Parts: sequence; structure tokens; C-alpha cells
Amino acid sequence: MTTPPTAATFTAPRRRTRSTNWMGGLRSGKIILGSVVFLFFLLVAIFGPMLVQSDPSQVSNDVLLPPSPEHWFGTTHTGQDLFAQMVYGTRVSMFVGIVAAFFGTLLSLIVGLTAGYVGGIGDELLSVLSNIFLVIPGLPLIVILAGYLPNTGSVGIVVVLAITGWAWGARVLRAQTLSLRNRDFVEAARVAGESTARVVWGEILPNLMAIVASSFLAGVTGGILGQAGLAFLGMTDVTEWSWGGILYWAQNSSALLFGAWWWFVPPGLAIAIVGTALALVNFGIDEFVNPRLRAAGLGTRKGTSTQMRRVRRPLGGRPRRVLEDAEFTEGEPVLRIDHLTVEYQGKTDSLRAVDDVSLTLHRGEIVGLAGESGSGKTTLAYAVTRLLRPPAVITGGEITYTGRGGEAVDVLGLDDRELQAFRWSEIAMVLQSAMNALNPVLSIGEQIEDIFIDHHIALSRAERRARAAELLTTVGIDPNRLDSFPHQLSGGMRQRVMIAMALALKPRVIIMDEPTTALDVIVQRSIIEEIARLRKQFGFAVLFITHDLGLLLEISDRVGVMRKGRLVEQNTPAALLERAEHDYTRHLLRSFPSLRSENDLVASRYVEAEEVVR
Amino acid sequence: MRVLLTRALFYIITAFAAITINFFLPRMMPGDPIERMLVRFQGQLSPEAVFALRKLFGEGDDNLWTQYWAYWGNIFRGDLGVSISAYPASVGSMIGQGLPWTLGLIGLCTVLSFAIGISLGMLVGWRRGSWWDGLVPFTTFLSSIPYFWFGIIMVYLFAIILHWFPLSGGYQAGLMPGWNGDFITSVVVYGTLPAITIVISSVGGWLLGMRNMMVTTLSEDYVLLAQAKGLKTSRVRQRYAGRNAILPSLASFAMSLGFLVGGSIVTEVVFNYPGLGYTLFQAVNQQDYPLMQGIFLVITLTVLVANLIADFVYVMLDPRTRQEAH
Repeated sequence: MTTPPTAATFTAPRRRTRSTNWMGGLRSGKIILGSVVFLFFLLVAIFGPMLVQSDPSQVSNDVLLPPSPEHWFGTTHTGQDLFAQMVYGTRVSMFVGIVAAFFGTLLSLIVGLTAGYVGGIGDELLSVLSNIFLVIPGLPLIVILAGYLPNTGSVGIVVVLAITGWAWGARVLRAQTLSLRNRDFVEAARVAGESTARVVWGEILPNLMAIVASSFLAGVTGGILGQAGLAFLGMTDVTEWSWGGILYWAQNSSALLFGAWWWFVPPGLAIAIVGTALALVNFGIDEFVNPRLRAAGLGTRKGTSTQMRRVRRPLGGRPRRVLEDAEFTEGEPVLRIDHLTVEYQGKTDSLRAVDDVSLTLHRGEIVGLAGESGSGKTTLAYAVTRLLRPPAVITGGEITYTGRGGEAVDVLGLDDRELQAFRWSEIAMVLQSAMNALNPVLSIGEQIEDIFIDHHIALSRAERRARAAELLTTVGIDPNRLDSFPHQLSGGMRQRVMIAMALALKPRVIIMDEPTTALDVIVQRSIIEEIARLRKQFGFAVLFITHDLGLLLEISDRVGVMRKGRLVEQNTPAALLERAEHDYTRHLLRSFPSLRSENDLVASRYVEAEEVVR
Repeated sequence: MRVLLTRALFYIITAFAAITINFFLPRMMPGDPIERMLVRFQGQLSPEAVFALRKLFGEGDDNLWTQYWAYWGNIFRGDLGVSISAYPASVGSMIGQGLPWTLGLIGLCTVLSFAIGISLGMLVGWRRGSWWDGLVPFTTFLSSIPYFWFGIIMVYLFAIILHWFPLSGGYQAGLMPGWNGDFITSVVVYGTLPAITIVISSVGGWLLGMRNMMVTTLSEDYVLLAQAKGLKTSRVRQRYAGRNAILPSLASFAMSLGFLVGGSIVTEVVFNYPGLGYTLFQAVNQQDYPLMQGIFLVITLTVLVANLIADFVYVMLDPRTRQEAH
């Protein structure tokens, strides 16, 4: 039998108009190829028997002939024409597969929709029922059912296959219905007083179509395979030609021993080709529904080396408002970003997410980077340790890190091994949502100790653990928590764990990407104080990224403002507050409530000068 | 451990359902199977066998309810009735002969194919977009092939044309089964071809499922952070991405065991392998209903136990399922 469709990787379909939905999917090459092949077999099933002159059961003297112009697929040991048998067999096999899949899918749709939509005890019962049908091995059951019904024709087989094959689809459809039911647009329809039938028919069903289609296609494959298995075992009406039936006669007539490969190869091949074609269509649907599947992987050449391939482009002499770095020389520079450009490269066009940005971090300094979402601040942060993934590519600029001994490191020129050693020991990171950034299946102790292991810090197992415990203590967490898993910690604790982790190798720079955004104000405050205290203690520099300009003005030594990939302004908080040079900065400063300012919040919609002109 | 208890309860319900189906199935069948049997055997059946048959099909003085209770009693005593084709052998003893072969072959192959599929899927997902993707259409094709047909092709190529492996059977005829070198070697030699067949035809499904989950997992923040931490590529791939991506595969492993076992059973028929599948096939051909039902029951219960083991492993791997520990 088949394995069930790959573990439901369907992500939530958004509500779109249906026509564009399917048009998008149909453009996939996989779907086209699969459909063409399937259609071919369908046409053979419908029209083939009318076009083939010879009777598949007609016995002749041409015994066991290999394929020839008279007998395209050769003959059997009684001289029957195998081509005719295959054509007639296509009709029965396809018929059984399609009809069984139709009824199976119908059953799973009814059960899945009901269970998912009704919920409660009805859902429980239906779920248990479909799980029971899933767990009970189908084929032995089918075999027994068929065994009780001697000389079962195709109709009996269809019934048996539909009854035993609906469970997987019902399970997937139930899960999807359940998630759709709580989506806003369904809630809205219900609140608006639409009838249940209308909600199910008009709102839920259209969004289930992709899954219904894919479970139908998987059902066709399952039906064809099931029929073939039963026929091969001689449990169907063996005088009715089907692909499995041909194999039954081949096996029972010792086709193998005669070496009559033309007898047993075509039926299996046909099954495999139809199955592959349907699986291709399903891949297409899957990739369409779950766009993540289309993204390039990490281990590819493209995935790793795009980050270091530097396509140098002549940088235009754009007028720059950015203050020259020379004006900030309190400490020695640890990290210099020069004219960095990052592009998201599409097939035809590309988008500049970071556009010619230069920024320097000095020892022990907190530099804030503010900007609205999409301004390129996170892309810039990931570019620093080359964590960008395709299609993002660093297309220009330089990143220079100054090591402890004063040596300059060309970050974009490091090879993979050097880069791995460089990351975290020199530049560490704290990411936005600690829930997603911590591995849910490893204890936090393990996640900290992994750093020591892979950076070849010569420590015994016990010493590693002691160091990890020490780190937790540093950020104010009970070392007993080492064996806890991320889900057992509160949001604030997880963020502290992230900070502890960043301190593991005493880096000189820590990049913090919205480290406090997901936290409530009180926890946020304590985390900020913690960072300030730790910086004093360990002397690392911080690149602090957030959209919260107010926070930045309070904690940073210097603040940069990004907009549309460009660093439009950077200065000390005091200077920015007093004489921000860029309109956008002034707009940002206005857009958070300040005790000192009496500006009207509502009126401050920022419109760039050139946009007004247009 | 609440998760495991819930699961165990579900399997108990399923076992109950399977046993009940098994009880009612012969009683619901149209026609008069006993008459058919008597005609077929033309008086060769002993009175005890006829009695066993009547008991199976529910003829007799007792009402359905009493019969149902008696059936449960028999099952708990391990009494599955008497085989008709191999009378007076009991169904239990017939199953006892076949079960070790099936457990050995199909159990081993399923675990093997899961392990291979998961490892390859992890690599293919990791290198999504490289030439590794070429494996995807290939394994799709492999997983669309009927097991038994692939078995026939394997026999044709490696047993009939190349003579590398024996044609059929579980061990060399004439050897006495036992724990000695000759017999074990023979079992391995005879088992290789069926094993390769099952592994190759089932590996594709795992590979594809794992690949897709891997691709989905790679866009998680914890994988990004693992890379930022400068961890070794292999560690990021296995411990951070793989450990998480494997969980849905493991869940569907449990759910698809039933499918796999079905496919493997037909494979046994191709190879005349002396396991439960082949025995079931013979039982159906000889209309040995008590044996058929006994085999169905044992296969189902075995799959349930395997499911429980898979669930146990899942709980071991995913700390979120053992929440109440703290």
C-alpha cells in the first residue's frame, strides 16, 4: 500500500479569490507534467478499449512471444495479446482507483468537516473513529473482507477500498477545518448571522480545496495499489482484466521462470507511472500551499556562499547626510561596516534591503538602530555575521572587525571554518522572540554547552556545566534551571537565557535584534537594566535594534535611523533630540508621546518630499 | 506521562474495536458459509471442525450476547479456534509458526527504512535546491511502485537471471530450524532479497516527509541562532533542525505502520516467505476462516504495540509532551 501523504505540512491558506489561487498553482511545472501523464492514462481508460481490435482473452498459437509489431507488448503462455490486456486493464484499474478515491474523499470530507466544525464530543468520537481506521492495518482487513465475498467484482472492491481508505484524509481535513473555524473571516461570517451551511460551503470549503484535491489524488494511487494487491492475490474476479489481474496470471503461469519480462513489467510500470504523476501534482499543490517548501536550503552552495560572494559595484557619489565616523572617536573601533549593500534577488528584479550603509561600533558602546519594519535594520544585523539566507545576498561593501590583539578581520572574506569560529566568540546575538529562538527539544543547559563544545573550549563535562550554571547566575536565573526546557520558562526568563548564552564566549560585540519587543513593560525594564549592568561588567559593544526610538534615545550612546534600507541619520541622542537633520527622524521623534512635546500624534504622517512631488 | 496513558487508552479502544469487528464480521457475511464449506470439503471435515466452524459463524443455541462474551473469554485464554485447512492444528500454533518470520523481516525492514529515509530526508532537506533534489522524483517513483511488483522484478533480476539469491522461501529446504550457524546464515541469505524489496519500496515516503519537514524547520529562528552560535554544520543540521523535524515523521510513523504492514504482507506472498502474510494468503485461498481472523487479530495487535513503542519514543524526544514534570 502507499504511505500516507507527507505529514500535513499545509500552512494556513489565506483567503484569496479562488481563480488566482488555482492559476498560481497551475503554473507549476510539476502539476502540468503530472496532469498530462494522468490525463493520458485517463484517455486510454475511456477510449482505449474501443480502439483496440483484439480481444484480450482471445487464445492463439502465438505463445509467449516477446514484443513485436503484431503484438506490441508480446503474448501470454496461451497466446493472449498483452497490449489488449493492458488497455482493458487500464480501464478497470483507473475506474476502481478513481471511484474508490471519490467515495473515500467524500467520506473523509464529511467526517473531517463535521468533526472540525462541530467540535466537542462529536469531534472526539469521530477522531477516535478515524484514528482506529488508520491504525488497524488496512490490507489484511481488505483481504479478509474480500475473502468473505467470493469472486468480488470491481464494485465490491471499490466499496471495500473506500471504507478502509478515508481515515487519513479525514484527519488532515479535521485539523484544517479546526484552524479555519477560528480564523477571523469565519468568525466574522458567523457573527454576521450566516447559516452554518453557508459558512461551511462559502467560507471553509473553498479553503479546504487544496487538501481535498491532494487527498483525492493520494486516494486514487491508494485505490489503484489496493486493487492491484487484491487482484494479484487472486481475490478479485480474475477474469476481469486489470493491471493487478495481469500480474496474477503472470505469477500463476510462471512467467518469471519463462523469462517473460514483457508479461509482468508493463502493469507494475503503469501503476508506478500513474502514482508518480499523481504524486507530482500533489507536490505542486503542497509547494503552492506551503511556500516555505520552495525556499532554497541552508546546506546548498547557494545557501552558504551567497553570503560571501561579493559582487563589487561602483558606489554612486550619493550626497550623504550621515556624519563621518571620525566624529566619534571616544573608543577604538571594534566593528566597521563600510558601504554595505544587501539585495533580495528575485528572478527578474532585486530589492535593495540595505543600501550603502556605513556604521562603526566602538569598544563598549551601545549603538541603537531605529526604523520601521521593512527598513532593513534586521537584514543589516544578520549581514554582520553573514547569517543571511537566499535570496538575500551581500552585493557590496565591507565589514571589518578588529580583534583583541588589534588585528583586522575581513568578515566577508572568512571561509566557512573561520566564520564558524568567528561567530559568537567575537560577535554574539540576542534574537527577538526567545520562544522561537531556543530549540524546544533541548534543555537550556545543553544549548549553552553546545557552544563550548563546538568552539573547542577545553572543558570537561562537569566544567562545561559549571560554566553554564555560572552564566545563568550572571543573568539572575537559578542554575537549577539548566535542565529546564524553553517551554518551562517565562518570556522574561527565556530572554535572560538568551543573554546568558550570548555572554558564553565573552564576545566583544553583541547584536540585539528587538530583544525586548515581545515582553511586557516591567520585564522589558528589568532586561534593559540587566543589559546595561552586564555591559559595564564585561565591556562589550552593543548594536541594539528596535523600532522603539524612545527606548534607544534613553540607553544608546549613539542612535542611527534607517529608512528604506538607508541609514538616513546617526548622532548622539541629545543631538538628535535637539537638531535632527532628516525629516524622517523628526517625524519618528514626533510620533512617540513625549512629556516635553506637544505635537499632535494623529497629524504626524510622514510623507517624503519626493513622494509629494509625484 | 499523561500523554502515554491517553495513547494507551486509545490503543485499548482500538484493540476492543478490532476484536469486535473480528467477532461480527463472519456473522454479518451474506450467504451460508458453513454450507459452502461442507460442500467444498464433501464430508472430509471431522465433527469437531464442523463444530468449530459453527461456533465461528455464530450458529448454535446461544444468543449473540452470550457468544460475544464467550469470544472474549477465548481471546484472553489465547484460544483463537481451530484451523480448518490444517486440522487439527490450532490457529494459535499456526500463527506461532509464522509470527517470528514476519516480525523479523517486516519489523526489521520497517525500522531500517525509517532510519534510512529519515537520514537521507534530513540531508536532502538541508541541501534543498542542490542536485540532491534529484532524489525526490526518483524516490517518488520508487514509493509509487507496488511492493509485490518490485519483489517480482527483484526475483527476476537477482534470483533468476543473476542467481545471486534464492528464488523463494525463508531458509534452505532440508535444514532444521534452530540456533546454529548454518540455519542462521541460510535465513540471512533467503531474507536479503525480500528485505531489500521492502526497504527500497518504503524508504521514499519517509524521505519525502522528512525532507519537507526539514525545509519547514530550517526557517525557524532556533536554527538561525544555532548558526549564529558558530556551531558545527552537522550539529546544526542534526541537533537543531533534524531533532525537531523528525517529530512529525515519528508521529506519522505510528500512523502508517498499518499501511506498511499491508504492503509487506503481499511481498511475503511473492517470496513464499513463511510469515503471517503468506499464511493469511493461503488461509484465504483455502477459506480457512478461523485462521484468517486469527491472523488479522494478531497483526492488528502487533501494530498497536509497535504504535505504543513509537509513541514512547516520541515522548522521549519531545520534552513538551511531558509537561507536568515540573
